Amino acid sequence: MAVSPVTVGVNVLLLGALYAIVAIGFTLIFGVGGILNLAHGAFLTVGGYTAYYLVNAGIPVWVTVPVAGIVTAIGGVALYKGILKKVADNPVSVLILSLVAGLIVEQVFLVLEGAQPLVVPGIVEGGIGILGDNVELNRLVVFVVSWLVIGALFYFVNETKTGQAILATSMSRKGAAIVGIDADNVFTLTWIVAAGLAGVAGVFLATFQTVTPLMGRTPLLLSFSIVVLGGLGSIRGSVIGAYLISFLDQITVQYVSPRLAGISGLVVLVAVLLVRPEGLFGRELTEG
Amino acid sequence: MGAETSEAPASDEEFEERTLAEIMDPREFGWPTRLGLVGLATLAVLPVLRGYGFLGIVVNSQLLTNITGAMFFAVFAMSWDMQSGYTGEISFGHGLFFGVGGYASAILQTQLGMDLLVTIPLGMVAAAVAGLLIGFPSLRLQGPYFSLITLVTPIILIGLFTFAPDITGGATGLFTEPLTSGAVEGYVIALVLFLGSLGLFLAITRSDAGIVLTAIREDELAVEAAGLNPAKFKLFSFVLSGLVGGLAGALFVHTYAGGFVAPSDLLALVISIEVIIASILGGIGTITGAAIGGLFLFLFRAYIAQVDLTVPVVGVPINEIYFLLFTVATLVVLFFVPEGVVTRILMRARRRADTEDDDEGPDVAADGGWTEGEPTTLERIVAKFVRELRELTGDRGDDL
Amino acid sequence: MANDGNQRGTDANEAANDLGSDRRTFLKATGLGATGVAAGLAGCTGPSDGDGGDGGGGGDGGGGEIPETIRVGALGPAEAPFGSSILNSAELAAQEINDNGGVGDKGATIEVTTGDTKDDPGTARQRYGEMTSGGDAAHVTTGIFGSEQLLALMGNIADKETVHLSTGAATPEAPAKLQDNYERFKYWFRAGPVNSTFLGDSLVQYAAERFEKMGWEKVAFVAEDFKWTEPVTQTIEDRLADEAGVEVTSVRRVAEGTEDFSPIYDQLESEDIDGCYTALAHIGNTSLVQWAKQKRPFGYGGIHVPTQLPSYYEATKGAAIATFSQTTATPTSEITEKTVPYANAYKENYDKFPVYSGYSTYDAVYMLKKAIEEAGSVNGDDLVTALEEMSHTGTSGQLEFYGADEEFPHDLKYGPELAQGVYFQWQADSEGEGVQEVIWPDELATTEYKSPPWV
Repeated sequence: MAVSPVTVGVNVLLLGALYAIVAIGFTLIFGVGGILNLAHGAFLTVGGYTAYYLVNAGIPVWVTVPVAGIVTAIGGVALYKGILKKVADNPVSVLILSLVAGLIVEQVFLVLEGAQPLVVPGIVEGGIGILGDNVELNRLVVFVVSWLVIGALFYFVNETKTGQAILATSMSRKGAAIVGIDADNVFTLTWIVAAGLAGVAGVFLATFQTVTPLMGRTPLLLSFSIVVLGGLGSIRGSVIGAYLISFLDQITVQYVSPRLAGISGLVVLVAVLLVRPEGLFGRELTEG
Repeated sequence: MGAETSEAPASDEEFEERTLAEIMDPREFGWPTRLGLVGLATLAVLPVLRGYGFLGIVVNSQLLTNITGAMFFAVFAMSWDMQSGYTGEISFGHGLFFGVGGYASAILQTQLGMDLLVTIPLGMVAAAVAGLLIGFPSLRLQGPYFSLITLVTPIILIGLFTFAPDITGGATGLFTEPLTSGAVEGYVIALVLFLGSLGLFLAITRSDAGIVLTAIREDELAVEAAGLNPAKFKLFSFVLSGLVGGLAGALFVHTYAGGFVAPSDLLALVISIEVIIASILGGIGTITGAAIGGLFLFLFRAYIAQVDLTVPVVGVPINEIYFLLFTVATLVVLFFVPEGVVTRILMRARRRADTEDDDEGPDVAADGGWTEGEPTTLERIVAKFVRELRELTGDRGDDL
Repeated sequence: MANDGNQRGTDANEAANDLGSDRRTFLKATGLGATGVAAGLAGCTGPSDGDGGDGGGGGDGGGGEIPETIRVGALGPAEAPFGSSILNSAELAAQEINDNGGVGDKGATIEVTTGDTKDDPGTARQRYGEMTSGGDAAHVTTGIFGSEQLLALMGNIADKETVHLSTGAATPEAPAKLQDNYERFKYWFRAGPVNSTFLGDSLVQYAAERFEKMGWEKVAFVAEDFKWTEPVTQTIEDRLADEAGVEVTSVRRVAEGTEDFSPIYDQLESEDIDGCYTALAHIGNTSLVQWAKQKRPFGYGGIHVPTQLPSYYEATKGAAIATFSQTTATPTSEITEKTVPYANAYKENYDKFPVYSGYSTYDAVYMLKKAIEEAGSVNGDDLVTALEEMSHTGTSGQLEFYGADEEFPHDLKYGPELAQGVYFQWQADSEGEGVQEVIWPDELATTEYKSPPWV
């Protein structure tokens, strides 16, 4: 008996939302600041371990979500201001330095905690029946919160002045400067949002998987695929791309072979770039 | 022995126009070149000194084995530099070539029972084909996207390997025959490979082909306007890089690794990254920088693990966190000396030489272009990368 | 290899080393470090090789003699409990032996050198090379843990002609190398666990004796896609349904690096199984935690390496409840009279209980001691003969090795009177603390299997 399409559908919806908040941050940094941040996966690791340490200190899991977001945002700004900003006009250095920075984060936690996967309990325990299928309540919460975050981001970018500034900067730095937008502030803000989102995603991932030093690698790789599929700097494209990738991954795992987990997205990435070197949707403005 | 091997492959180089005699004329050598030659000579005679001690370092089989590994790694780094350093297409997955070479040879040997003397060259050819396959899309792709593709290709390959573990050995690796098991034999093979690759790459990059490649990196359109086909030269560098990388990978598997091929030795992300780090530490687009960086990085990694010290405050032994220290050190060097340590030393040396003698050859651009006042190789690659990134992100000519 | 004669000329090396090592404790690995430098300063510039280890232990101690210091190299991933159990147990055994009169009539001391493999084949090769070279090359080695690392080292062990008693790895590919070429690879032995072919036998035997009682009628088998599970999977596919009298709904091999088990559990749930029978080590954590968090309606266990950790219940915040696994020994199971004292001594020294690789490593060091006394030397070939003939009562059972002509040369013998391990289950005691209760075999069982609370 095959797995019911409902189950697969639920998985796709849940994971898609999670991938989306990781990929949005990745694409924002790329689209606005022109920085391909290979340390983005490390933000999830930081978020995951922050939650782990806090939970062990007796703090409820749901509290760790915003705290991990803040901690990671601070880390993100430190990475940007301390290192990457100074070499921002040198994309090769950016790529390598961000990658090395990511490796350092992994190594630090490896030294501190070892490679052993650690457990963070679910935000809520228990399950709920949906269309005759038992869904983990925690995943549902993660799904809802992820969408709230995505919605808030849409609103922020499209309806607030600061959001419009980000948008303007991503379109044209010179134009933004002419209307008096301080590009540096916008970049910093982008890093806060992107890193914070990834940190939150790290906690979410930790609550239904485990915390390991390398936990950010797969989301980072998936983000590549999502961004290439969805177009650079596009929030809407990231959401669509995240769902495409999540759908593809689940279909492959459920109906082809679980051994191909994570690989299908990468194959799509290569295939898309070979056929359309400018990406599937190409450059789309951050109109949300 | 060293001199022969470095000349042999160079002599049949079709793009060669400056004669070897000109390149090899010792009167033209500055002190860095002389020092390098002394280093090569030391490498060549080292096995004969087995059992002797110098300055507290005893030449034993472990030292030879470490240097063997270091020479393989240096060839990996040079192979990356040949491709990425000279075309400006930064590959983040050069382990693909080593892996394809090593695995092709190992699988052919185990599955078809072919002789190693056949499978190793076939592994080399397979990697060259991989170079071609990676090379074609690079002609169309923008720099950052090319980097992404190269980053994920080895990961996909590892994924596919676990899909057919009977043939590939899966995540654990695959047993195959060793070519030799002795430390000295392995050393000699690695030495021949190292000197051969060094000679070949130097000859090519210092020839007209190297100048064309450097020119492509800087301004592809100009090269086209001059009636040359940049695509042809780029593919040439990819295939060449694949050939050497694949040969090194196959020989590595059958000698240093003792007839065992594993993803973590050749295909892992860390390998590809270390290769880049080595080249950049040494100096990108110089070949010699990659060679020195590769040798140094491997030996540094091998010996820092043995340091019996404890970090104060946190109380962690250094040998347990050496990879962390290593990545931090890399970050610091990349941040403060982005043009590469070897390049910087050479710049200083050249500057001094310039003040004494104004007669600098016009050929410096080909070996890295670090003549004073001109942008460094890295800067040129960066300029190209920035251009392409702008095109990607739509910031066309929108210079702030 | 003109210069690679046997190293009789290392006297200066030896002397320098003996001066330097007038300490009977356990130096950390310094392959080329201390002794290399000492030898250089001592003016050892004659044409000696400087490699005590090359050409086997024969080079050291002049053959036929037990050296004053016997150097044992122990390898393992230091940051993981499976590795630290190896390294600590080797040191614990050496300490005990040294305190009780040492090795042989003259009371030679054992000096343990440790090497951190980082669970990576390349690093393992590097550390092994350092450990077995230079003036203070190890006479024998033990440990390793991962099958990948062991396989990567098989060629090196053969080349060094230095006896190695591996612990932790279960792959049958290692003895297969001896079957191909006994003379070259004969320096390899396995002190534990039993190889994974026997782990398959063990799973079938356990199923036949216990599944009915546990209420497992429909069972799915989940193995990680690693070398060591290949023979296990084969055995399960061939024999589980027939011999245990259960319906096997599916046999799955899950890829390395799988992070989300939900799709797999969805499928298992749709198969309506009573139990998920496992062969998991590397990806066992994620699998177990997600099974527990998602409260999947089936039992879970079989061979599950992470859950063997004595601290696992606490580490997973109780997620390990009701999971069971085969293991070499538990701290409270009296497999032999040595099991519990060893576990307690370990706890006293290192503040926690060892995992399975620790029991085997502790036994390995004692077997090496015995073999060295038997052979009267540390020569590789002499030790091979001594070990082949040995029968040793260890912490993990009665330990013997298969002979050169058998199916698994130099592998640990498996059987009721030899080494067969135990099955334990995590159960909560009256205070809610997790306890590893033995549930098989009958003579060691302390309780019966209990289903997960939510099933």
